[in-house]
Amino acid sequence: MLRNRDREGERSVAGSGRQAHIHGAAITTSWRDASRSLTDLIFDGVSAALADAGTPIAAVDSVVLAAHDLIDGRSLSSMVTAPAAGAYLRDEIRLSEDGLAAASFGAARIEAGESAVTIVAAWGRASEGDPAAVSRAGFDPFLQQPFGLSDTEVSAFRLSRWMARHGDAAEARAEAARSRRARAAANPAALRADSGARHESFPLRPGEGPRRADVVAAMVIGAAPGAVRIAGVGHGTDATAVGDRDLLAMPALRTATGAALAAAGLTLGDIGLYEIDGMTLADEALALESLGLCPPGGGFRALTADHVNPSGGSEAGWCYPAMGLVRLIDCYTRLRAAAAPTAGTPRRALATGLGAGGAQTATAMILEAA
Amino acid sequence: MTDPVAILGVGQTRYRRRHSDKNTAELVREAAAAALADAGIGLDGIDLIVGGVAPDALAGLANIDLMSIARPGIPYMRINTGGATGSSALLAGMTWIAAGRGKAVLVVAVERMGHATTAQNIFNSIFDPIYEKDISMSTISMVALRATLMMQKYGFTSDHWAQLAARNAAVSALNDTIERPRVFTADQVRGSAILAWPIHALEACPTTEGACAVVLTHAALVGDRTPAWIHGTGAFSDTYAMGDRFHRPEGALDNLITLERAARKAYGQAGITDPLAALDMVEIQAPFASSEVMAYMALGLCTPEDNVAFTERAIAGTAGVAFQPSGGPQACNPVSATALIRITEAALQIRGRAGARQIDGIRRTLSTGQGGATQFSTAVILGAEKP
Repeated sequence: MLRNRDREGERSVAGSGRQAHIHGAAITTSWRDASRSLTDLIFDGVSAALADAGTPIAAVDSVVLAAHDLIDGRSLSSMVTAPAAGAYLRDEIRLSEDGLAAASFGAARIEAGESAVTIVAAWGRASEGDPAAVSRAGFDPFLQQPFGLSDTEVSAFRLSRWMARHGDAAEARAEAARSRRARAAANPAALRADSGARHESFPLRPGEGPRRADVVAAMVIGAAPGAVRIAGVGHGTDATAVGDRDLLAMPALRTATGAALAAAGLTLGDIGLYEIDGMTLADEALALESLGLCPPGGGFRALTADHVNPSGGSEAGWCYPAMGLVRLIDCYTRLRAAAAPTAGTPRRALATGLGAGGAQTATAMILEAA
Repeated sequence: MTDPVAILGVGQTRYRRRHSDKNTAELVREAAAAALADAGIGLDGIDLIVGGVAPDALAGLANIDLMSIARPGIPYMRINTGGATGSSALLAGMTWIAAGRGKAVLVVAVERMGHATTAQNIFNSIFDPIYEKDISMSTISMVALRATLMMQKYGFTSDHWAQLAARNAAVSALNDTIERPRVFTADQVRGSAILAWPIHALEACPTTEGACAVVLTHAALVGDRTPAWIHGTGAFSDTYAMGDRFHRPEGALDNLITLERAARKAYGQAGITDPLAALDMVEIQAPFASSEVMAYMALGLCTPEDNVAFTERAIAGTAGVAFQPSGGPQACNPVSATALIRITEAALQIRGRAGARQIDGIRRTLSTGQGGATQFSTAVILGAEKP
C-alpha cells in the first residue's frame, strides 16, 4: 500500500518545467442591468479580457470556467454560458468551484503543455435569484437548513467565536469598514450602483456584509512570457460540517497558502501585496490572522494596511463564485502597473479564493512580476 | 502527451434506480474504497480528488460533492459538464498529473437522480427559458428530434432503434454492476409506450443512481501492477441551440463535430489512423439507441453512405469491433457518473477483470462522453501497452 508518496509533487507549480503567465484580464461589475442578459455580461467580460491581453480569440485553445447552475438559474447552465465565454469548438471545462480554483486549473493546463492560451472566466449574477437561498441549499437538509444556515451565518459564527476571545473591537471594526469603503470608492472596477440591503446576521453589523453585485471576471493566461507569472498555487480542504471546523484557524486557507508559498519558494515576508477573499469584513480580517499576517485579535486593524486588499475587498462588489478570480485580477493589475518597479512597489502578490459551504475549500495563488 | 498516465484502480457501486438505503457519502465511500484497494494506494497517498456531479437539482441539494466526496486535507475540485462530467473529471485528473502537481489522483463521480421526483422537469430547465422550455423540451424530446432526422436523412427505421436497444439490453444481463438488468426483445421495444415519437419507453435509459471511482497515476507509480494506459484524449465544446448546428461549414447537427474532433485528437495522440481496425472495443456515452448510431460516423467507424449497413452489422455483432459490452448507458445511466463508467468498463476489459462480460483479446478501447445537447464531447483511448 502506497502512502504519503512524494507529496511535494502537488506543491510544485513548475513540476512540468512549464510556467503559466498572465496576458490580460478584466473585471466587470453591474447591478440588475436590464439591457444585458447573463450571456451578454459574460461575453462583454471575456471580450474585455481578450482586448486587454491583445489576444485574438482564434489564438485561444482552451477555456476553463467557474460557475454554478443554481446561481446561474438553470440546470447545466454552461450549455448557454460556455459559448459566450469563447468555448465554441474549443477544449472547455467547467468547475463548480470558486474562480481562483479555475485559474489554478487553467494554469495546470498550461503547465501540462495541453494549452498555449487559456481563457479563465467566472461569474455570478446576484441580482437574479436569491443568493441566500442558493447558499442554504448547500447545507445539510435535516440538521442545518432548518436553522436557516447560509454562508453569511457561517461568517457570523466565525465572528462570534472571535468576539468570545477578543471582545467586540467596535472601533477597529468601524475603522476597517471605513477604510474599505474608501478603497472601494477608488477602485475603478467596483460596483457604483446601489444593490440594496445586505443580508447580515448577528453579530455582523451594517456595512460589514458583502455588497452584492453582478460580477464577471475573466483572464487570459498562456505559456508565452508575460508581465506577470503564476509562481505558486495551493489548495486546501476543510471538513464539511461547520461544527467540525476550527472557524478561526481556517485550516483550508492556511494549507492552501502554505502550499502556494512553498511552490514559489517564498515566505509571507516576500509578499508585498495581498488580496484576500472573504464574504464579509470579518472573513477578510480573520483570514489575515489565520495566515499569520497579524497577531490573534489584530485582523481588523491589519486590514487597514495599504498592502492588504487595496481593492476594497467584498465592499467593491461580491458574488460567489467569481471572487477568487477577482482577487487575482486585482493583484495582477497592480503588479502589472508596477512592471517598472521603484523602491517599495510590490513584485509579488498573494490572492486567495474561498469555496462554497462556508469556505470548505480554499485556493491560494502567488503572482510575480517579470 | 507528456509522461504516460495509467488507470491503476477502479471501483463501482451497484447501479439501481434508487439507493434508498445509502446516503451519498456511503455510495462514494464504497466506490472510492474499491478503487483505492484495486490500485493499492491509501487515501493519504492521493494528491488530488476530483469530484464529478452534474446538475445539483437532480439530487435536490447544492454541492452534494462537498458533503460526500471532498476530504479534509486533500486538494479537491468539482467538475460539472452534464453527461460528460465523469470523463471531464478524469481528464482534469490527467491534467493535474501532466502538470507535475501530483502523481496520484482519485476521480469520483456520483449520481442521486432517483431522488428527483421529476427528472425530466429538471432536464427541461437545461433548455432556453424563453424559446424552448415552455414547449416541454426535455432530453427525451431532444433525442426524438434527432432520431427523426436520422430516419429522414439516412433511411433508418424505428426497427433499427428497437433492435439495437434489444441487443444492448441482452448484453447488460452479464453486467453485475446493474442490480436489475432489463432484458427485452425488439418486439417488446416496439410494443412499449411512445415517450416522444419515435422513441419508445424501452429505448430510453433508466433512471439510475450510483457512484464510480478511478485512480489515476503517473507511470512511476505503476510498478508491477496491471494498469490500463491512457493513449489519447480529446475534448471539445459546441454551441448551444440545435437549430444553429445545421447550416454551418463545420458540419451539421448529426455530424456531432465536437465528438468527431475529440476522437480525431485522441486518435492522433494514440497513432490511430484506421479506428475500426485499431480498436477492439467501444463504449459510447449514448443513453438512446439512435444516439449511439449517430456517434458511429463521428467516431470514424463508418461513412454516411455505409451508416445503415454498419448499424445492422453492429446489431448483429459483426461490425469488427465490440460495442457496449457493459450494455452501455441504455442499460444504466447515472448521469454524473455515466461517462466515467464508460472509461471504467474499458479499463476493466483491458485489464481482463470484467467478469462475465469480459471479451477476450481487448487491447485498445475508445470511450466517449457527451454532455448537454451533445455539446460537450470527450474521447479517451485506453490501451494495454505502455505508450
